[in-house]
Amino acid sequence: MTDDLELLKRDWQKKEFNVPKLSYDEIHKMIWKKSSSIVKWILIISVLEFTLPHLLYLIPGASDALTFYEDIGISKYFFGLSIFYYVVVLYFIYQFYLRFKEISVLENTKTLMQKIIKTRKTVKHYVIFSLANAVLIFSIIILGIYLNNDITNVLPELGDQLNGISPEKLKISLIIGIGLFGLVFVAFLSLFYFILYGLLLRKLNRNYAELKNLQI
Amino acid sequence: MNKDLEHKFVTELQDNQNIVHKVCTLYTNDRDSHNDLFQEITIQLWKAYPKFRGEAKFSTWMYRVALNTAITLYRKNKKRLDTADYESVIFKIKANEYDDTEEVQLKLMYKAVKQLGDVDKALVFLYLEDKNYTEIADTLGITEVNARVKMNRIKTKLRTILNP
Repeated sequence: MTDDLELLKRDWQKKEFNVPKLSYDEIHKMIWKKSSSIVKWILIISVLEFTLPHLLYLIPGASDALTFYEDIGISKYFFGLSIFYYVVVLYFIYQFYLRFKEISVLENTKTLMQKIIKTRKTVKHYVIFSLANAVLIFSIIILGIYLNNDITNVLPELGDQLNGISPEKLKISLIIGIGLFGLVFVAFLSLFYFILYGLLLRKLNRNYAELKNLQI
Repeated sequence: MNKDLEHKFVTELQDNQNIVHKVCTLYTNDRDSHNDLFQEITIQLWKAYPKFRGEAKFSTWMYRVALNTAITLYRKNKKRLDTADYESVIFKIKANEYDDTEEVQLKLMYKAVKQLGDVDKALVFLYLEDKNYTEIADTLGITEVNARVKMNRIKTKLRTILNP
């Protein structure tokens, strides 16, 4: 029965595929089309991830937040944290760039997969770092409110409505409100990232597992 | 990129397009995806072409790029293949003249190959294209021993399908 595969092999090599042969012009047109490869998607999504959080500062009202930080007395910590944050972000972008450049379709299948996974890991670490940073920022804000003794002054626009409420009560509701918002914000972002990448890399991960299975 | 390079590339790809069609046939299940994958492979080949210095044959170089694109870079997940599609898929491949038994056997085998995982498929594809184990191992990034062992397992599997 050893001839079965030989039969298949002979048949395969003789095959003329029943698909229309492409003409010179058709192929020529194809080379200028946009690629939709996974590598390209990783690049697009990563660039979005690096830029979007920073665009948030452009939203009107974000500058109010800065005065708010000042009012509750945490702006200097916030400033220090921002510098640290941007240094680390630049480092991540640089790492991402280096790894991204290394991806080449001319590698063998295994190396190619490994390089894509490595590039993706850089982004993953960046995302985890960003989320941790968000948690830290929310914690500092909450701590700032907690330690602030003159909380009514921080929200002058609410002035009159606040008259009936005791500062203690206001503090607690602010802390709970910001705490909950922070929690939802971070949870939502993590869910979004992991679902997005889960879908994007599902096929790659499956095939990488299959390839690794070949190794005894 | 200059016009000469472009012309040279398109001509070579046109002459060797059968290899890409074979890869697309193995990895996709309908005409649209076939064309889509063909286009992605063409784009990847073209992007990598300036690095192709002619130290290998154009066709040899194509195998690697085409398979890498199909297995790794091509993003879309294939639709589940339902039985109704089989005939059209398998006989995207034109039947050669065989006696009935051989014809049935071939159909079964193509069906079995289509059901393999993406990496196993690549292995079978290179084998069917008459590549030796060194080349197969080199393309996939595994050892020659692993390629051999795996290929033997696939052969056994295919034989069981044919001779239950």
